[in-house]
Amino acid sequence: MRKNLWMLVSLLLVVSVMFTGCGDAGDTGGEETVASVGMVTDMGGIDDKSFNATAWKGVELAIEELNVSGSYLESQQQTDYATNITQYIKQDTDLIVTVGFLLADDTAAMAAENPDVNFAIVDFGSLGDNVRGLTFSTDQAGFMAGYVAAAATKTGKVATFGGINIPTVAIFMVGFEAGVDYYNAQNGASVEVLGWNTAENNGVFVGNFESTDDGRRVAEEFMAEGADVVMPVAGPVGLGSAQAVQEAGNAWIIGVDTDWTVSASQYKDVVLTSVLKNMDVAVFDTIKQVIDPNFAGFGGENYVGTLENDGVGIAPVASGAVADAVLKDLETIKASIIAGEIDTGWDTYLAGLE
Amino acid sequence: MDTILNQEKRKARTMGIIFLVFALAVLLLFLPGTTGEQQTTFTFTATKVEALALPDLIFSTQMGLYVLVVVIVFLGAWQLAKGFPNQNLILGVVAGLFVLAFLAWAARDKSMNLTGMLESTLLRSMPILLAALSGVMCERSGVVNIGIEGMMLAGAFLSALIGSVTGSQWWGLLAALAGGGLMAALLAVLAINYKVDQIVAGTAITILATGLTSYFSSRYLQTNAALNTPPTFRPLQIPLLGRIPVVGPAFFNHTFVVYLAFFLVFAIQFMLYQTRWGLRTRAVGEHPRAADTLGIKVFRTRYINVIIGGMVAGLSGAYLVLSSVARFDELMSAGKGYIGMAAMIFGNWNPIGAFGSSLIFGFADSLQTKLAILQVPIPSQFLLMAPYLVTMIVLAGVVGQSRPPAADGAPYEKE
Repeated sequence: MRKNLWMLVSLLLVVSVMFTGCGDAGDTGGEETVASVGMVTDMGGIDDKSFNATAWKGVELAIEELNVSGSYLESQQQTDYATNITQYIKQDTDLIVTVGFLLADDTAAMAAENPDVNFAIVDFGSLGDNVRGLTFSTDQAGFMAGYVAAAATKTGKVATFGGINIPTVAIFMVGFEAGVDYYNAQNGASVEVLGWNTAENNGVFVGNFESTDDGRRVAEEFMAEGADVVMPVAGPVGLGSAQAVQEAGNAWIIGVDTDWTVSASQYKDVVLTSVLKNMDVAVFDTIKQVIDPNFAGFGGENYVGTLENDGVGIAPVASGAVADAVLKDLETIKASIIAGEIDTGWDTYLAGLE
Repeated sequence: MDTILNQEKRKARTMGIIFLVFALAVLLLFLPGTTGEQQTTFTFTATKVEALALPDLIFSTQMGLYVLVVVIVFLGAWQLAKGFPNQNLILGVVAGLFVLAFLAWAARDKSMNLTGMLESTLLRSMPILLAALSGVMCERSGVVNIGIEGMMLAGAFLSALIGSVTGSQWWGLLAALAGGGLMAALLAVLAINYKVDQIVAGTAITILATGLTSYFSSRYLQTNAALNTPPTFRPLQIPLLGRIPVVGPAFFNHTFVVYLAFFLVFAIQFMLYQTRWGLRTRAVGEHPRAADTLGIKVFRTRYINVIIGGMVAGLSGAYLVLSSVARFDELMSAGKGYIGMAAMIFGNWNPIGAFGSSLIFGFADSLQTKLAILQVPIPSQFLLMAPYLVTMIVLAGVVGQSRPPAADGAPYEKE
């Protein structure tokens, strides 16, 4: 009896771990490949319609075009990061891509222990000679989205919230607020931003990247306070907000990371625009470097995605949501940001952190 | 006798002093931050439905705070002088007035929608309430169910999948009940027949459900939108009641699942305390040996309760999908099952108590968001702690008085 029971429990645990831990080995290129790429995701799953998914798109593109082999390991919790990275090191993977700010500590430790392995980390600066940092000036794109939101609101209130208050999340909100302020200054308007304040480094956060129900509730609370544009910076949590906005029927949602009219197409009638963070471009570019025969290590170099190199951007604005003049303004604003003539608030934010 | 009387008196006096401390807190914490010109605006607009409109309530923040202080001081003085018959009720009222003072202070020079806040409190408490009810069902019969979180995930996953495939939210709901029930049956086998440590078995079930749902979700649901777009329940406004300002939108304009949850609170309360089944359940949870001697089938009673409890947990998952966000995502229950267990304990293993405590957790959640929107100068990390702080304060303060079923967590061995 006792024995049976422990067998049963162990079996249960083994089955669960099988499903949880190893995630999924994706495509391997088939025939002889020039290099192998392993990607370790953050929590939220490979199909989070957000950064895991976008980064993987870059690997997939490389599998198709560059004849490399690639696979990913999903992390279900923070303790999986190191385990997953180790697994790729054991397989002699040529490039290990770790996705997300939260993986920085483990990536740094592993990279220091394995100086011969190439790493790239999304959303973090370089962590050593063998690590390429892939960062994004999302504040620039968020700024444009803020400008659009301010032009589209009818109630004079726009809102944004985040998953957890970390710089890679806040950067969207910082740019957003600055964009709204810029609209106010240019057009003599007084649109109010709910949910974020750069000067205070404080705002609305749900505290996780999983609870879609929280996303819905927060969006409803914003709408109850009169906001009619909501930008959720919280991965899949934002999809709950999109549902609330769609049911309300008189508000807009702003997508983040990818173009939500494509990646979350059931909400496309309420997507005002999306703040694009083209992680796929960055990952693809990194893989290209690694397979170059003359490649001699990253040398601690960083990739920074900007409006200028199309590393960040905004998706087409929903037709009829704003006047044509606003779209023209956006062109000018983009040029000014690239030229460094407009302050996106990022320096203020960084100064506030110290 | 004399000492008991003295104790009573001392308790009454302490309570009165606590009331005065609340008043003092308002005076010291909130009033200094206000100026004479500041005004607080409370609005009552319903966002989603037509209800009879109530005009905005605009008042001078300072005046409002003084009025509240006076009322609290009066209650405290009355308590010290004469004493209220129901002290705990008055304590609740004083705490409520204190929260109101806090809101008036937080919304100075700004406006706050109280109807929206009430509505959001209720909706945020729903998954917690259903999880708590699930816990009540199981633990009243003596089985600790720490796998509620996993059962919620199973319910949420199946409701999304089956709802999408059949195109009907009703099938989705049934599938969620079945999924939760099935997970619970597994718990029942392990905990009742095999007498596995119930905490271990429950944890294993959560790990299993997390693994399975995450795997199948990323494999099929996320890659194929047709499998993850279930139809949802729409809010049904109850005629007349639904049009009452404030209360109407908050309580009488909800989906079928929410009404079902209300119904379950009272149904389970009634069943537990007024029916033969309830008496048996409680007997099995308190003293299974005695119940067995009297011919009550301990194993069968526990099986039935655990499986029904699992179905209620499945319903909680179905709420998240079919009544809220219309899709499944990995780990979407995000710990609400565990908060539900805290609500059950705080509610003294009693459905109506669990309802009350779930509302407090829902309120803490909603307040946290409101305060962040109002830019109260408290870092978001601290605000996010609010529900957990409430849990701890409540558990520390109340658990002394709440008592689990005597045989809770103990496997029953037949002789």
